[in-house]
Amino acid sequence: MENSSTMSKSAVKISLDLLSNPLCEQDQDFLNMVTALDTAMKRMDAFNQEKVNQIQKTVIEPLKKFGSVFPSLNMAVKRREQALQDYRRLQAKVEKYEEKEKTGPVLAKLHQAREELRPVRDDFEAKNKQLLDEMPRFYHSRLDYFQPSFEALIRAQVGYYSEMQKIFGDLTQQLDQPGHPDEQRERENEARLSELRALSIVADD
Amino acid sequence: MAEPGTDEPSSRTGSPDGEGQVSGERLLLHQRLAVRELIDTELSYLHVLRLCASDIRSSLQQLPQRDLDVLFSNIDDVIEVNSRFLHDLQETASRKEEQVHLIGNLFLECHEELERVYKVYCASYDQALLLLDTYRREPELQREIQSIIEAVLPQAGPSGLSFLLVIPLQRITKYPLLLQKILENTVPDASAYPVLQRAVSALQDVNTNINEYKRRKEVASKYTKVEQLTLRERLARLNTHTLSKKTTRLSQLLKQEAGLVPRTEDKEFDDLEERFHCVSLCVTEMKNNVAVYLDNLEAFLCFRPQEYDLDIPGGPVVQYCSLMRDLQLQAFPYFKQRLKGLVWQPLCSLAKALAGPQNLIKKRLDKLLDFERVEEKLLEVGSVTYEEQEARHTYQALNSLLVAELPQLNQLAMRWLGQILCTFMGLQRELAQQVLQRAEGSLAQLPHYHLSEPAFRKLVEDALGQTGHQLRSFQENFEKVLPPPTVQPLLPGAERQVQALLSRYGPEKLYQVTSGVSGAGTLDLTLPRGQIVALLQNKDTRGNSSRWLVDTGGRRRSKSRSGLTRTPVT
Repeated sequence: MENSSTMSKSAVKISLDLLSNPLCEQDQDFLNMVTALDTAMKRMDAFNQEKVNQIQKTVIEPLKKFGSVFPSLNMAVKRREQALQDYRRLQAKVEKYEEKEKTGPVLAKLHQAREELRPVRDDFEAKNKQLLDEMPRFYHSRLDYFQPSFEALIRAQVGYYSEMQKIFGDLTQQLDQPGHPDEQRERENEARLSELRALSIVADD
Repeated sequence: MAEPGTDEPSSRTGSPDGEGQVSGERLLLHQRLAVRELIDTELSYLHVLRLCASDIRSSLQQLPQRDLDVLFSNIDDVIEVNSRFLHDLQETASRKEEQVHLIGNLFLECHEELERVYKVYCASYDQALLLLDTYRREPELQREIQSIIEAVLPQAGPSGLSFLLVIPLQRITKYPLLLQKILENTVPDASAYPVLQRAVSALQDVNTNINEYKRRKEVASKYTKVEQLTLRERLARLNTHTLSKKTTRLSQLLKQEAGLVPRTEDKEFDDLEERFHCVSLCVTEMKNNVAVYLDNLEAFLCFRPQEYDLDIPGGPVVQYCSLMRDLQLQAFPYFKQRLKGLVWQPLCSLAKALAGPQNLIKKRLDKLLDFERVEEKLLEVGSVTYEEQEARHTYQALNSLLVAELPQLNQLAMRWLGQILCTFMGLQRELAQQVLQRAEGSLAQLPHYHLSEPAFRKLVEDALGQTGHQLRSFQENFEKVLPPPTVQPLLPGAERQVQALLSRYGPEKLYQVTSGVSGAGTLDLTLPRGQIVALLQNKDTRGNSSRWLVDTGGRRRSKSRSGLTRTPVT
């Protein structure tokens, strides 16, 4: 986004510097051309800014919002992980006692261990279920969530470039410049260069 | 009776009539001869030129084309002009009486064209001589060239090619002399006389102009070279001569600055120079700005959002990605390429072309200082050395050259700059056209294509509001910490402690430790999980509410608040 702003600003600078050159005072035609170009550039810059704002609202912010859910999601995953660890630990303890000889103290300890295990297992399973439910729904929601944003992006481009076409179309028409093919433009450049070189004061190398 | 004055004219040598007639006839004869000479020499001149340009040039295979271009310069143009000239000359032969008149007219008509082609040839002749010098140093090559020439034109003699190449120079200087000869042999009251006079002076002017042109070209080529010298080379160039030149100039400049010596004000030149300076500045600035613009364009194109995989099949996302891909692969690179070729390159060429004149203007200023000093000396002393005279001439040549050509330069440069600007605008328009065409194609496939812009924006706002809610609910869900298992088994042997605490404080003050706490500070408790403690105060002695004062039934200590939950204790 900043790139397109920078580009737009540098285009404006081209015309701005030209306008400030004293040649403009001496040559009316030149002044007209440069003023027209300057106006066009400034308007394009304004449109570019508007485009950037629009995209900020419809694409960037929603993107950020979507991204901000992820930390909470990660925390929930971590908590589930921790619950899993506790579950495994207590499960192992229970199994250890189950394997021992069934004496009195052992039975008491086994009972105790089972009592400890139960709530932990429930906790884990609750967390697990929640994530299993919510995560896919969240992931799926991106489909519908982003469609409008991308639509907005395309529309923004269409808006901007249709303005650009209009502005520069008017400009080229105003300055009486039909669209020349590239070869012709190149030939003209060559012609101008040879005209300059024909002068003795221009060094030819 | 016969008077003495009526003797036969033929025997009278002193009679004016007779003399008049004889000299009249003699005059006519000489005139006819001079005319004959003009035409005959023109014929043989052209013949030699043609041989040079065709047979000799094509036989000199061993020389590179570049060299041949320098040696023969625009000889073809010369031949073309002179052929027509000869043809017209020969035509005049049919009109006996008016011939001389016609010849005079012919010269007056042709002299501009002659000047045009001959000045180019003459100006490059020196370079051709230099080239011939280099050939002379290679005896083998020299012999070959000589043999070719002798085969075609034996009369060329030992000097060979240089003898042949100088012929056009000789010819153009001969014209005034040939005309002069005809003029001398023409009676002053003939109708042709004034015509011939004008023709003679015209051809003399042609020669003067050719010399002036040559001189300017020499001066220009001497000083326009923008030389890239290293410091070493610059130092090597310093010698007493250049040092004295520079110090003299500097002192002259200082004298001017101090007002001791008047500065030569040349308004015409100053105006031209100022305009040139503006043009030059314009070009440089524009060049720099376009460079920055191109850089930014590059940076802009580096960013490729369409390359990140969002794993969203179908819909606007896919449209957007394909649109961006197309633009990145076609429309933008094409724009960049055209911008470089049709705007940036020409700007660079233009800027480079202006460097030569800039140099010349600087040099002129230096030479002006020299000139002024010499003028001073002339006033004081009355005479100057040959070198000083040269310096004056150099300044004058430079000045007249610049005054003659700067207006055109300024105009051409401005015209070109204007064209480049228009190209820039045209390119922008065409870029917009291309992108728009492609983007509108994508737009047509979007679901809400038919909506107007404000309606669409409302739609997006609503949709985002809705999904915003949804996201928030997701977030809350994920943040929700499920209540921990409510019943924690009591540690063995703790029942009695719990009872004691219960009776002392009541159930609402009892908390169970849910996660083991290890006390860090001296006043902290280390409590295992599941232990029941009674809350005495929910802040510590210092008033910090994150630490609580609890009673474990044994000791009273404070602990941090975390890890404690209220539990109903049965």
